[in-house]
Amino acid sequence: MISQELIAKVLERALSNGADFAELFLENTYNSSIRFYDGKTQQSIVGKDFGIGIRVFYGISAIYAYTSDLSEKGLLSAADAVSKADSKDQIITPKGLNRVRVENIHPVKIPGDTVDKAEKIEFIRRIDKSARNFSDKIAQVDLSLLEKKQDILIANSEGLLIEDTRNYTRAYGVVIAASGAENQTCSDGPGAMGGYEFIRSLDPEQIGKNSAEIAVKMLEADYAPSGTFPVIIDNGFGGVIFHEACGHSLEATSVAKGASIFAGKMNQQIATEKVTAIDDGTIVNKWGSLNIDDEGTPTQKTVLIDKGILKSYMVDRLGGKKMDMETTGSGRRQSYKYAPTSRMRNTYIAKGNDRFEDMVASIDFGLYAKKMGGGSVLPGTGNFNFSVAEGYLIRDGKIAEPVRGATLIGNGGDILHKISMVSDNLELAEGMCGSVSGSVPTTVGQPAIKVDHIIVGGRK
Amino acid sequence: MYEQEFNKLFELARGKVDDIEIVLSSGKAFSVKIHKQSVESFNYADSKGIGIRIIKDSRVGYSYTEEFTDEAFKMIIDEAITSSELVENLEPVKFDDYPDIPEKLHLYSEELNSVKVEDKIALAQKLESLALEADKRVFNVPYAAYSDGFSYSRVANSKGLNKESKANYCSAFVMALAQEGEDKKSGMDFVMSRDFKKIDPKKMAEKGVKQATDLLNGSTPASGQYPVVLNNEMMASLLSTFSGIFSAKNVQEGKSLLRGKIGEKIGSSVVTILDDGLHPDGMMSAPFDSEGFPSQRTPLVDDGVLSSFLHNTITAAKDKVKSTGNGSRSYKGSLTVSQTNLVLQPGKETVNDLLKSYDRVIEVVSLQGLHSGANPISGDFSLAAEGFLYENGDRKEALANFTISGNFFQILQDIEKVADDAQFNMQSCSSPAVLIKQLAVSSK
Repeated sequence: MISQELIAKVLERALSNGADFAELFLENTYNSSIRFYDGKTQQSIVGKDFGIGIRVFYGISAIYAYTSDLSEKGLLSAADAVSKADSKDQIITPKGLNRVRVENIHPVKIPGDTVDKAEKIEFIRRIDKSARNFSDKIAQVDLSLLEKKQDILIANSEGLLIEDTRNYTRAYGVVIAASGAENQTCSDGPGAMGGYEFIRSLDPEQIGKNSAEIAVKMLEADYAPSGTFPVIIDNGFGGVIFHEACGHSLEATSVAKGASIFAGKMNQQIATEKVTAIDDGTIVNKWGSLNIDDEGTPTQKTVLIDKGILKSYMVDRLGGKKMDMETTGSGRRQSYKYAPTSRMRNTYIAKGNDRFEDMVASIDFGLYAKKMGGGSVLPGTGNFNFSVAEGYLIRDGKIAEPVRGATLIGNGGDILHKISMVSDNLELAEGMCGSVSGSVPTTVGQPAIKVDHIIVGGRK
Repeated sequence: MYEQEFNKLFELARGKVDDIEIVLSSGKAFSVKIHKQSVESFNYADSKGIGIRIIKDSRVGYSYTEEFTDEAFKMIIDEAITSSELVENLEPVKFDDYPDIPEKLHLYSEELNSVKVEDKIALAQKLESLALEADKRVFNVPYAAYSDGFSYSRVANSKGLNKESKANYCSAFVMALAQEGEDKKSGMDFVMSRDFKKIDPKKMAEKGVKQATDLLNGSTPASGQYPVVLNNEMMASLLSTFSGIFSAKNVQEGKSLLRGKIGEKIGSSVVTILDDGLHPDGMMSAPFDSEGFPSQRTPLVDDGVLSSFLHNTITAAKDKVKSTGNGSRSYKGSLTVSQTNLVLQPGKETVNDLLKSYDRVIEVVSLQGLHSGANPISGDFSLAAEGFLYENGDRKEALANFTISGNFFQILQDIEKVADDAQFNMQSCSSPAVLIKQLAVSSK
């Protein structure tokens, strides 16, 4: 995209006022989306994201500039902007660049651009048909097929020059069921860090039918109860509880500032012994996986909590500098428009030994949260919330009638001590996670877990 | 600006498409974050992108690029044509040379442009130090930040339309964490303006800190139905979350429960809502929308009666009405409908008048989970909340660890009073505090 000589020149210029470290992130991304609703293809958009981000450190101050002007003049003016933000007497010179091509651990079997768009539209149409055939209460099916090919180049003053290509493929849909003056929805968004083979592995009829079934069921369901109850949170997207209640508060972004409830708790018991939690970027073709992070560090499998004991935070280069820790390959960003920071990848609670049936049987009255929506957290206080998309009451040890979505709230420091049972049906689910460095693909996951008490924000 | 790029694209498209529209946005932005009085980060942004919408054989195609080379421009023309061929939905789309608004909007301040970087850093440092000094229970100020930016947009089409506009803004944000015993609470404040002098770090720090310290060691209310006052910021947040219900595009796609309700009473008689694309304090004010259509003030709800939806030219043609100038598209996306500055009109009573309307009233001053716990299509919401219990207008105690649940369409009907303290939030929604007859509160 730009010559090695120019990269070296830009890094040198960025260091010319005494910065300790300089880094360059170049991106050329091909984005393609198809949107389908009202039973018809509505739009198809293809476009190109293109630009560069330059970052320097003065001690633990981070200076970042980005531009999509990749002329020599544009690049040097961005390098000047970052270098002039501060000044130190000692000027270091960048090490000679050593170009390496990343080792790809996430093979793409069928590149999206080799597949006929007619096939893609046919796939979407089958989801639409299957959802609409399920019930005449289905008022709308809004579907998208998203494909992204991100070519990146990362270079820094320590001599790193590395290139990678990331392919993302995802289908996303919302099904709306309507009856009189009421609407209920169900959304689903399977995705992979891989090519079109992922879409071919999906069953469109099943996706359409499942979503339609939940939306209709929720239309007929009563509101969830209010109060504090035992709750079983099922596998897959249920893992959003760990993501919000705990994951964000283990990111160096908040820990390094002391603005996390888990700051200073390394090697302490922060959860019950049932809880082992992992953040893993190496799972082949998983949506939140990587070869290298957005700072060029090879990805890894990081054990965060081992049998309740805090073992690691998620650390990026700058966070590591602040906390005197090694990076865990967790530096991520949405695009060249964001400076990287510590973020999650595929984050899940490892499987346990409890049986799902025993978990249900242990509850007289409570909530079974089968499918979860999103959530959020304030890492400084640990207070989190996340929403139930498909819920059922548990009565006398049995799963009973469906209830409509409600938000569950609690505190991250507290909730991990209330996880009393962990089953063995581990599953991961794809989502997008938004934070200071933008929106990045992550997966959440867990086997079904039982939380002894949690506040259920129902209406009855 | 970008005359050459526009000419090049028109030239490349000539003979290949029936009509073309080009939108461009570019901008520069700056931000600084302070932690422990040092610069935690500086950011400089220099961004640009160009998007096209073409019509060929009555079909619409889109494409965009952030790389401004002849090669990239050729690519987007070809991609837009290819994409148009896949489209099955034939919309009543046409481009036109729309008139300009009569008045001049003041969206750009030369003075703001000349503020020195040192003064911006000093402001963020003050925000942090004042927040730390405001109360001894403050143990951390994780965010003390200043940012500003300049944006330029241009839209042109093959029917002769060619408009440009520029704007700038500055903003500041502070978040404080306070602790008493084991309990931690956070508070924040945010200001956005075109006038650097309007940012008062003392006022902001005190407000953010007070929010955190007032909420410390709250109790949890018993679950049940309560009259609730949503303060101005929280009502504005809720309005932002549900603003899509007024979009004619959502209505036509079956995603708004307001479908077919024009002329009907959808709110109580104190509810008047308008979309004001020309509001002097609104950060979304602009002379024209993404189609080049002139901006306007559009009454949406008059004394509780639904009077209009928000339109672009396509949704308007389908409903046989005029566009309201709410055509919206980033260069990366397709044409949709968005609010500009959405305003719930204030009333004459004070917030205290609202708080003493019942023996017991819960005032909600913080809501979490708006992106996940609220569903704009069903109107249902269930949200983590913090606030205060009032008895006969007197603040009795802080409340935490509870949720409020309800339905936004029901809230519009249940608003009994609107206060006089309207202000804009970060999403350009303005609202006063409102008194809601009852909401479900859930806790222990």
